[in-house]
Amino acid sequence: MNFLPLAHALASRQDLPVPAWLFAWGASIVLIVSFFALAAGWRTPRFERLHERPLGAGLSRSLLGLPMQVLFGAIGVLLLGFAIYAGLEGTTAPDRNFALTFLFVTCWLGFPFFSAVFGDLFRPFNPWRAIGRAVGAGFRAIAGQGAAHLRYPQRLGRWPAAIGLIAVVWLEVVYGSGGVVLDPKAGAHAALFYSVYTLAMMAVFGVEEWCEKGEVFSVYFGMFGRLGIFGTEDGRLQRRRPFSAATTWATIPGSAAMVIASIATTSFDGGQEGAFKDGLESVFNWFKDGGMDPTAALRLTDTIFMLLCFAGVALIYLLGVRGMRTVPGAPSLRKLRDGFAHTLIPIALAYLVAHYFSFFFFQEQAQFTYLLSDPLGTGTTDIFGTASAGVDYRALSANTIWYVQVGALIAGHVIGLMLAHDRALVYWPDYRKATASQYWMLAVMVAFTCFGLYLLSVSNG
Amino acid sequence: MRDVRKLVLALLVVAAAMALSACGGSDASTTASGGTGTGADSGKSAPEAGKPAGSEDVPTIVVRNGEPVGGVKELEYSAGEEIRFRVSSDAAEEIHVHGYDLMKDVPAGGTVEFDFPAELEGIYEAELEGLGVQIVELRINP
Repeated sequence: MNFLPLAHALASRQDLPVPAWLFAWGASIVLIVSFFALAAGWRTPRFERLHERPLGAGLSRSLLGLPMQVLFGAIGVLLLGFAIYAGLEGTTAPDRNFALTFLFVTCWLGFPFFSAVFGDLFRPFNPWRAIGRAVGAGFRAIAGQGAAHLRYPQRLGRWPAAIGLIAVVWLEVVYGSGGVVLDPKAGAHAALFYSVYTLAMMAVFGVEEWCEKGEVFSVYFGMFGRLGIFGTEDGRLQRRRPFSAATTWATIPGSAAMVIASIATTSFDGGQEGAFKDGLESVFNWFKDGGMDPTAALRLTDTIFMLLCFAGVALIYLLGVRGMRTVPGAPSLRKLRDGFAHTLIPIALAYLVAHYFSFFFFQEQAQFTYLLSDPLGTGTTDIFGTASAGVDYRALSANTIWYVQVGALIAGHVIGLMLAHDRALVYWPDYRKATASQYWMLAVMVAFTCFGLYLLSVSNG
Repeated sequence: MRDVRKLVLALLVVAAAMALSACGGSDASTTASGGTGTGADSGKSAPEAGKPAGSEDVPTIVVRNGEPVGGVKELEYSAGEEIRFRVSSDAAEEIHVHGYDLMKDVPAGGTVEFDFPAELEGIYEAELEGLGVQIVELRINP
């Protein structure tokens, strides 16, 4: 019985583990950078204000106006609809069907990667938001007033989205692991189920309210979008200082859970064939020897380890928060916990890049060649004449992939440290106390970054 | 006092960093190449001493009842080397080397040989196409 990561069902290639010398260099650079971060930090916050500059009014009007909103929304709805159609009607081979690559690679990885640079790109294309808004507009036109919504329980915050994120990754890598590969039909059914659930929640709590707190993809992609350089304010496009919008992201309860869930699920997927393999195998054998069906035993084992990852990442973060509490003048534990959650967003992004960048790069070649020309994988269509193209695995050398992986982790570490230092200056205006508090966050970040490096370096043999 | 503490911390960090790079450096030379095979089913991947890939020592994977005997065979190469292995099977099957996208039929009770240059880096698998069972893991190091 094999423990297989997400990439396995779709791609024919896996990354080689990062060699020991590069691991050592990466870890060394992390330690040195961290030390200088402590010694050479600035004394007034730099990212706590957005430093926005509005872009041209004409550009804003044309890009944000109603016609474009309708167009982008319609594109989102059509693509989701087509992916579901391909999943239901196309081949059951995961790698030959448009559905799984589009949903789990192009969207699931593409939106975080590009949003982290350009700002939240998912919001305009969000198919459920588009449908919800269209229905709302229709309702207003007929009834003459907006639909009444239940008040969203504020204490729930982003917990529904955090739990939803774990559920989505569970579907990808736990349900679809071992001999039972997630097939396109199951993917389509999941997408349909999620659509019904989301539209129902939007009807109950309101479209924007649910997108802000409960809708998994809005919250997840939007989280990475906070790192990006474009945003909207007062109906205008704004160019803002990179990372600065992240500082206001975690003001809603459950945000910390969201970013922790992101790091944890990526860790689990990345460690399945490497760091966690022996542990997974022994627990699996224990269940199997206890008379459990192998598939059920595999899923139960994976589920336990995924939840353990969540608990482990949460524990490290909370220990750091508790440590900061010991610095004189510290705000309450809860305030600290929510106040530093956004500093983990760059780390979560670094984990995603480190584990999925090459997979994304290669699989997008499939997406834009044969999966576009022959989306159902039935061999009967060749819309763009690229149905027989293949993936060029020479396009990235193993060395390039290693440097990107390690470079991403180091960059994420540095950005996380910068944001944490900045936030500490808000809570402890006294520069020395702020620095003292940051010994703790530093330890947290070194732990995550070195763990990330470790996951990459463990041979997945 | 603070400066002294900072200095001590700096020295500790640099020392730790150097120690890390040093042990990394010595590990770097241990990357094995050539046809070292281990059974992946055992979970322990201690590679056996690899024999030079002469024509007499082509690694052979024996497939019986739709499973590779001794588990998935792990073969490791450096980019540019010659990948050679044989598959013998008790039943007719099609062998598919992923990534390289090579297909060969093996007749029942027969043997088929693969021989191609290791030009794609990364980890690829070969499987029994009909059953979807993996039999070989190819690791091509840069």
